[in-house]
Amino acid sequence: MATVFAAYAWLVPALPLAAFALLTAFGRSLRTTGAWVAILASLGSLALALLIAGERLAGAEDYSQSFNWLAFGTATLSVGIDVTNLTSLMMVVVTVVGFLVNVYSYGYMRDDERMTVFYAYVSLFLASMLGLVLADNLLMLYIFWELVGVCSFLLIGFWYHKPEARDAAKKAFIVTRVGDLGLLIAVLLLFWYMPGHALDFTSIGNVFGNDGGAISAGITTLIALLIFLGAVGKSGQFPLHVWLPDAMEGPTPISALIHAATMVAAGVFLVARTFVIFEASPAAMATVAAIGAFTAIFAATIALAQNDIKRVLAYSTVSQLGYMMLGLGVGSVVAGMFHLFTHAFFKALLFLAAGSVIHAVHTQDIREMGGLGSRMKTTAWTFGIGALALAGIPPLAGFWSKDAILAAALERNPLLFVVGAVTAFLTALYMSRLFYMVFAGKPKDDSHAHAHESPAVMTAPLVVLAALSVIAGFVETPWYGWFGEWLTGEAAHHAGYLAMIVATAAGLLGLYLGWLIWQKGTIDRKALAARMPGLVRVLERKYYIDEFYDLVFVRSLRRLGYVLRAIDGLVVDGAVRLVAVTAQAVGRLNTRMQSGQLQGYLLAAVFSVVILVLAVAGRRLW
Amino acid sequence: MTLLGSYLTLAAVLFCLGLYGVLTKRNAIVVLLSLELMLNAVNLNLIAFSKYGMIPSLTGHVFTLFTISVAAAEAAVGVAILIVFYRRRVTVNVDEFDELRR
Amino acid sequence: MFGLNLDITGELAAFFILAVCAITGAVMALNLTRVIHSVLSLAFTFISLAGLYVLLGAEFAAFVQVLVYVGAVTILMIFGIMMTRHDHESQERQRPLTEALAGIGCLALFGILFFTIRGTDFPAPAGALPEDNVGELGRLIFSGFAIPFELMSVLLTVAFVGAVMLARREEDDLP
Repeated sequence: MATVFAAYAWLVPALPLAAFALLTAFGRSLRTTGAWVAILASLGSLALALLIAGERLAGAEDYSQSFNWLAFGTATLSVGIDVTNLTSLMMVVVTVVGFLVNVYSYGYMRDDERMTVFYAYVSLFLASMLGLVLADNLLMLYIFWELVGVCSFLLIGFWYHKPEARDAAKKAFIVTRVGDLGLLIAVLLLFWYMPGHALDFTSIGNVFGNDGGAISAGITTLIALLIFLGAVGKSGQFPLHVWLPDAMEGPTPISALIHAATMVAAGVFLVARTFVIFEASPAAMATVAAIGAFTAIFAATIALAQNDIKRVLAYSTVSQLGYMMLGLGVGSVVAGMFHLFTHAFFKALLFLAAGSVIHAVHTQDIREMGGLGSRMKTTAWTFGIGALALAGIPPLAGFWSKDAILAAALERNPLLFVVGAVTAFLTALYMSRLFYMVFAGKPKDDSHAHAHESPAVMTAPLVVLAALSVIAGFVETPWYGWFGEWLTGEAAHHAGYLAMIVATAAGLLGLYLGWLIWQKGTIDRKALAARMPGLVRVLERKYYIDEFYDLVFVRSLRRLGYVLRAIDGLVVDGAVRLVAVTAQAVGRLNTRMQSGQLQGYLLAAVFSVVILVLAVAGRRLW
Repeated sequence: MTLLGSYLTLAAVLFCLGLYGVLTKRNAIVVLLSLELMLNAVNLNLIAFSKYGMIPSLTGHVFTLFTISVAAAEAAVGVAILIVFYRRRVTVNVDEFDELRR
Repeated sequence: MFGLNLDITGELAAFFILAVCAITGAVMALNLTRVIHSVLSLAFTFISLAGLYVLLGAEFAAFVQVLVYVGAVTILMIFGIMMTRHDHESQERQRPLTEALAGIGCLALFGILFFTIRGTDFPAPAGALPEDNVGELGRLIFSGFAIPFELMSVLLTVAFVGAVMLARREEDDLP
């Protein structure tokens, strides 16, 4: 089948970009019209992405198009798009979530007077993410990568009148910068070592696909690890995960967008896109898997003890991203991308549902919630579906993708499999805790008794996402590996039923335990917490990572800053001030000398003669 | 060894005393007088050298005569200026002679 | 110090007496508060210098010194004093900074001169001045220095005319 729509793939990012330009130019006078512009633009992108995906499903060839941007010496930098199965999948994910978030925000942000600014940022965010997805070379990807970072900064700090939001935005920007630096160095290294300085993915695939003959193993590992560092920063992997939970200070739709489709997915996508480099370096693969597994279980334990609904979800995202990295690290692009695909839907669903809850009760603390299920039926139901999907209960989407990762891990390393299974258990546990504390039981606060369901514009995306969360997993099951075949051209392999049974058992056990603790009360959670106060406190404080960073990096850097400022103030400014003061003093002295007093002039002349004589013939006097 | 060094030292002492007077005295007449003292110190040098110099010669005397003449002329003009200034400003204080600044 | 290893000759004794007189007169001139006293004290210095000139064999120069300085310049100064008022003398303002700086400058200059004089090895005079000093001087001035002599007379005339012009009272001058 011919590539009809893929030729217009550049329109997918261009539409939101145009919306951004339009909103920036005329935003203030548009208001609701502006929101419609953004929604329609994302709808257009979605339609086109779906058309391209459909075309690809029918077996169209890869499409790529690029033109030279800069030529210097023998090297050429190009700009272009690459439509493959991987990119078209990502396009669909991004545009679906982006469109639904746009629709949802119409209700959520209705009362915000900077709504058009919000939509402008969201549009730019989508455009940069789509550009990142479509980019056919690493440099272009890096540019969009940074644009994504800027947009996340703008959106997390959207409510800049809140100091926490400002701090969170800065934190997100600065922490991801560490990773971005790694990616930049990786790009530069690639540019240096690649034959012909080519940075496009096709050449990279060719070079590294042939056992990395052109580039030594050490450099390959270094490049892979640096790229992974970029992914760690963007995807909130340990140890750069700290920005992600704080990013909850932004508007909730943005949390959904960041967590499901755009920002954090970029890291996973990057690793998947440059997977050939990782494949060429076993050490890098092992690192990815280890970091992913550790992040998964690490974040899941933290999520158990958080009391902010969005923070629980944030740590859940970190954990699930760890899962994806684990999947990639054990060598299965299919598993990682599959989980990214399904996770995008149910995590967006969970965030949007959480936003609906927050919208209704105006608090984010789950200890103040409760009993909302009866009054917010749609939200509760959809949230429940999302939670079950996240917990990995069959036959929801999360189950299949998680199973794929666990199966791949089992094949590679039993330890990673165990970690994954425990994480699955913990995931089910904290999701049930969240669900029961928010929706079940009695209202803790009278004011919440009047909470009512959100408007249809907000619930409709929830329903759509819930439906997707249910069905999205069926594209790839152990018995029907169509998705993996389509994505990578190889049939995905499954290790039989062991992984499936363990995953299901872990999920169900977690749910049951959660039910016992938070719903039925068979296990007294106060007593449970009292028996291990240290652990609870450590988890509540998120393993003191923030404090550790504050102590090690922030304080020392701030101290360095003070020193530098003192140097600047005392030495540099001091030198400048000294020059000024000297000039002033000389001027004042000269003013005083120009008194018109003959005797003064004569005195100066006498001194001049004395100095002159001493200077010229001073030595002869002795 | 002759007395040349002693004469020169005396001249130096007188010169410096005259210079000090010129630099510090506020009364214009005293300043003029100090100036004459400095010129006299120079004259003393000239005459001392004319006798004790390497080649004794009367040229030093001639120069002394010229110097005295110039000093006399200078004193006359100086006093004249002083009187004119006194007429305008009713003062003979040198530190109020700040016409150069205007 | 200089001359201390010399025999006390008549010249030396006379030199010291006259030198002390000259320096005393100069210092007194600087220290006395009334201007007229300063003038008279300086006249004393001028006379001492004239004595020194005689000691150095410059009788004509000594004569001119007495005539011009003591007779003309000093009298001129006294006229100057008479024609101006000096009632501020008693409340002479102190200018310690200026005086200190001037003192330092003068001392430094003196130090330089002193060390230079002391450090210089003056060769002994190869010969002596003629006995008939005045006659020789007249011959020298009217032969070798005739033109400078004439110029000097022009200078004196110009100074005379200039002084008269300056001091002439004009109608619009304030008193």
